[in-house]
Amino acid sequence: MSTQAPPRPPAPVPAGVTETGVLGRQRYGVTLPPAGDAGGWQLRKRFTPYLFLLPYFLVTAVFFLYPVLYATVLAFYQTNGPHSREYVGIDNFLFVLRDPDFHTALKNTIVYAIFSVFLQLPLSLGLALLLNARNDRLKGFFRLAVFSPHLVGSIFVGVLFGVLFAPRLGLFNRGLQMLSGWGLEQEWLGNPALVMPALIIASLWMYVGFNMIYFLAALQNVDVSLVEAARIDGAGPLQVFWNVTLPQIKPVATFVVVTSTIGSFNLFELPYALLRGSAGPNNAGLTVVFYLYNNAFEAGDLGTGAAVGWLLTAIVLVISLAQIRLSGTGRDQ
Amino acid sequence: MPEFPFGKAPFWIMVVALVSGVALLVSSRRDDDQRRPDLVFATFAEQHYKAYLPVVKEFEQSRGVKVQMQLVDSRALESRLQSAIQVGADVPDMVELLTGSLGFFTRGPLEDVGFVDLTDRLKSTGLHDRLVTSRFGVWSSRGRIFALPHDVHPVALAYRKDILDELGIDPARDLTTWADFVRVGREQVTKDLNGDGIIDRYMIDLPSDGGDALPLLLRQRGGGLFDEAGNVTFDNEIAIDTVVWYAQQVEPPTKIAFPAGWGQNLATAMRDGLAVFYFCPDWRTWQFQTDVPSLAGKMHLMPLPAWEPGGRRTSSWGGTGLGITKACKNPELAWDFAMFLYYQKEELGKRFAQTYIIPPLKEAWALPEFQKEIPFYGGQKVGDFYASMAPQVPPEWVNAFTKNAEGKFREAFNNTRVYYAENGDKGLREYATAELKRTADRVRLLMNRNVFLAQSKTELVDRSPDRALGVPPEHNRGAAPPQRSGGTPKPQDGAPTTGGAR
Repeated sequence: MSTQAPPRPPAPVPAGVTETGVLGRQRYGVTLPPAGDAGGWQLRKRFTPYLFLLPYFLVTAVFFLYPVLYATVLAFYQTNGPHSREYVGIDNFLFVLRDPDFHTALKNTIVYAIFSVFLQLPLSLGLALLLNARNDRLKGFFRLAVFSPHLVGSIFVGVLFGVLFAPRLGLFNRGLQMLSGWGLEQEWLGNPALVMPALIIASLWMYVGFNMIYFLAALQNVDVSLVEAARIDGAGPLQVFWNVTLPQIKPVATFVVVTSTIGSFNLFELPYALLRGSAGPNNAGLTVVFYLYNNAFEAGDLGTGAAVGWLLTAIVLVISLAQIRLSGTGRDQ
Repeated sequence: MPEFPFGKAPFWIMVVALVSGVALLVSSRRDDDQRRPDLVFATFAEQHYKAYLPVVKEFEQSRGVKVQMQLVDSRALESRLQSAIQVGADVPDMVELLTGSLGFFTRGPLEDVGFVDLTDRLKSTGLHDRLVTSRFGVWSSRGRIFALPHDVHPVALAYRKDILDELGIDPARDLTTWADFVRVGREQVTKDLNGDGIIDRYMIDLPSDGGDALPLLLRQRGGGLFDEAGNVTFDNEIAIDTVVWYAQQVEPPTKIAFPAGWGQNLATAMRDGLAVFYFCPDWRTWQFQTDVPSLAGKMHLMPLPAWEPGGRRTSSWGGTGLGITKACKNPELAWDFAMFLYYQKEELGKRFAQTYIIPPLKEAWALPEFQKEIPFYGGQKVGDFYASMAPQVPPEWVNAFTKNAEGKFREAFNNTRVYYAENGDKGLREYATAELKRTADRVRLLMNRNVFLAQSKTELVDRSPDRALGVPPEHNRGAAPPQRSGGTPKPQDGAPTTGGAR
């Protein structure tokens, strides 16, 4: 008589998994447990994705959620270090909204954002079209040459243009003088009227190539057969661009417009470096984030800084939603 | 061996993470065991860092302690320190601060200031009176001193002597007041030399937006952004006069100044003779000597022209202070180190020879290094020259709103400058008065909004800063005279306006 226990019935295979020995247990990127551990496996299966996502959630909670929540609380306080805090209600928001400096900062930022969208992006698109049309070995070189200013970073660009814009001695003014007989003595960074143009010129050099890469990628995905069909139907280059190319790159164009606008509203490092840490004459280089920095970190009023941060978030959110809605990107799909 | 339940990749990721974590832990333990420094000292200036190295070594040997010196960029040091003190995180025991930065830390009640109050110790040791007392202003709040001054930084004018010789101008005779300076600048120096319609030689380098030069000139005549009690004063008569005068020098048709900027741009402008003078505090003398060696022997130094005959011939620009943080576990050792580093008389001579920076310890100025003739400056005794001006250096008062005030003062000036460029002298003074009043009121509004400052003002009343700092009255002459009501127009004839109480 056999004393051996009767063999256990095989463990149920999870739904969608075909058990085929060791190989079968290693399918779908996870290793199935040995037979006979069905309950534990079910539990592990349920928690495994969360376990993998846990580091991400932890990092997000510590470095994003907590600061966001804390900034919300801070916006209603005046603070001075860890020990002194006074509840001021919505005073910080009211102060910022009534502050002429905030109005200046907002105006400067909007002007910069408008130029970013209406000057920078057409230039980026133009360069992308030029590069897309070329089909030679130098294409890669030109792409790198136009993109490379973005690699050096805004602080470097700020310092570099600070030297280029120097009156009399700067390369920019000398070039202007040579080409037009005007501009040698222009004080780009000392004249309130010229600070914003200087900022825009520096940002063009930096960002045109960056946005060009997006447009170039989109252009390379344009359906050639549609372009050829339009040409056969007698469409000119402008008609082809307007009626065939542009609709196809529209999602990317919307993305670039939205990210450029958000980037413009977050402008800080470039004017900070270009104007040597000041907001320039008459606050001509003061942006919203610069204003936030001045309040929170120069004057030490983190509460007002947090209030500016929330106002900036609201502004950017409204503008971005409006842009997406106006472009009709969501509706197309 | 049983298989890892989540697969090979997560297993290896976990192994790498664990090994890295253990390695980090072991290495940090080993660092700790190697010997913790007894003092951690952070500075922002490479020039200081190099000059301090031998002194730190000597201090370590003589006291049998270990001092860790850290060189951190000024902006990074300031912002990190601010953040660390804000959240109560770990900070160095001792920190060198840039002038103006103390305001941030003194925004709230005195007990919240992250630095040790050194006032009583300075007094009881007698050190207070051995130093240039006006230099305590920038390191004080509500009459309490929170850092030790490293320097005096008197300001002079550096100039191209060869050009002035060619033009027959003797600074000692012809340029004793700013009125003389402007007249000579307009009549003899600022010229289109080749007739192409472009000015080829300007009298002086001045930043068009005011930069550091405008506040420096304001201080020279006894003004400032704030007074000793922390009141906004940059809309008083002295400020109005200074702003109007400055606008006239940087805008046509009376322009005598070129904005040469910094570093190589300034060096090129001076080398090419585009500007003949520039403001030269002691710290700039060494820099310029290394930047433009080709001008050796052609450069010379002179005191600032006075605003009125017999008036103050210098100002101040910049400064460094050494603070002991409240986190310091051994304040006695920190004080000892501070004395060793900053106020060892013999050591200061050597340090001057390396930096040309005038220390605030008055007895050090008699050392032979300060009497040395410097060939770059035509054989002038640079140390003796600056030291002779040091006692006249005006005080500078800072608080948490100094940066706001600087920005607003500059804003008022720039509006005035644009007004002058468009309208000339007509109504200029009234315009400047209104602009300065508007911007000063703005700073007052910001200050009144600060709930912590209300408490600070109560403390100020209780403490009497005059007695605490012991700044002699002559340092404050001209500060914040009563404002003239109604902004009475003052005749403008293109000549510099004078004013103030000196």
